[in-house]
Amino acid sequence: MNTMTLYVERNSPIHRLDPLVKLLYVAASILLTYILPEPLYIGGILFVTFLLLIIGKVFRNSLPIVTLSMFLIFSLVIVQGFFHPDNVTELFAIGPLVFYEEGLYVALVLVMRVLVMVGAFSLLILTTATDEMVERLIKKGMSPKIGHVILSVLQLIPQMRATMVKITDAQRSRGVETEGDLLTRVKAFFPLIGPVVLNSLNETKERSIALEMRGFDSPMKKTFLNEAKQYPHNKLIAGLITGIVILGIVWRVFG
Amino acid sequence: MNKNSMWSLKLSTAAIVLIPAAIGINYIGKLFASLLRLPLWLDSIGTVLASMLAGPVIGAAAGIINNIIFGITADPISTVYAITSAAIGITVGVMAYKGWIASVQKAVVVGLVTGFVAALVSTPLNMIFWGGQTGNIWGDAFYTFLISNDIPQWLASFGDSIVVDVPDKVVTVLISYFIFKGLPNSLTNIYRQDSEIEVI
Repeated sequence: MNTMTLYVERNSPIHRLDPLVKLLYVAASILLTYILPEPLYIGGILFVTFLLLIIGKVFRNSLPIVTLSMFLIFSLVIVQGFFHPDNVTELFAIGPLVFYEEGLYVALVLVMRVLVMVGAFSLLILTTATDEMVERLIKKGMSPKIGHVILSVLQLIPQMRATMVKITDAQRSRGVETEGDLLTRVKAFFPLIGPVVLNSLNETKERSIALEMRGFDSPMKKTFLNEAKQYPHNKLIAGLITGIVILGIVWRVFG
Repeated sequence: MNKNSMWSLKLSTAAIVLIPAAIGINYIGKLFASLLRLPLWLDSIGTVLASMLAGPVIGAAAGIINNIIFGITADPISTVYAITSAAIGITVGVMAYKGWIASVQKAVVVGLVTGFVAALVSTPLNMIFWGGQTGNIWGDAFYTFLISNDIPQWLASFGDSIVVDVPDKVVTVLISYFIFKGLPNSLTNIYRQDSEIEVI
């Protein structure tokens, strides 16, 4: 089926982990960058995250995701390096603009934090099938209705994208200008988005009837189509991650 | 009727199904905006429209789920702004419920308030995660300008967000308003939580 997840099917220990454990890792790694805000520690967490991406055989797939945040990273280094309020020690100067050491240090922490965040998140989404994650969350008590919403979006968007192409072609053939100066392009926005919106709202009407026919609103306990996967070292790994976070807090308070 | 207040969590199936549609519309709006090379994102039309149609609860849910889904399918950083999207949904939902989408002028006010709220919610997030910047070129340029004029960092960060959010939200709310006004009643009626249902 044509869905739009970034999930990459590979055979690796990371893929076999419980999605919830990976979710815990994302939360823990981001939290740790705040508990221990030193470049050395954040660098360590970053290293572990990249290592896990390599073990999960998805390091190459994570690069495009990291590239997306490149602009933010550049902007952080430039703005903090030149303009951070605590700047004192000069590093180098371009004309009248001076680049400072303190700003670079601040930027280094921020950039590594962004990288940890994006890296850990990539680890989760590249090695976890969305339906597996949603199913696990529902088993842990999330409303099945929210689960339905999340999974149906992933199917709906490719459909809407197809509708969009169709409508763009149809409107162009009727003479709607989609290129030209700003005003022309602004004017083209309504005839393009209008039909897509109407179309999708009409579909919700039909879909809600179809769902209600199938007992969507039924108060009975929902059962699962897929058999539950077994995750052997689940508790151990979760305990380990929690332990490291607690250790980090203790280190910060007493160290 | 207290039972059918706008904050009711008893959501109809139609209202729940509206959420994926809203997220799809968000996505399409963003796509068209970049296709037509418009200088705005227009990536919350669906959230705003859902709030107008079904109230603040659905609007907030659409906002949060939108950013989570965008996070797991394209850009993890957007997950951070799930809270902002929720605030947008709540603001528009409440104002629509109070009758602020009766005319174009009022819709502009809704857009201004929404942009302001979005900036207000984004600022602490930007401070926590990226030291006050947004990663948007115009916003960060304005941030730099403010910082170099000795404006406190959080105020500069707020300025950064305002520059980015207010124009985008005003246009987004206006577009949603025009679409909303164009919808037939048979369609708008099915989502409302507060409408009275006649029992035979």
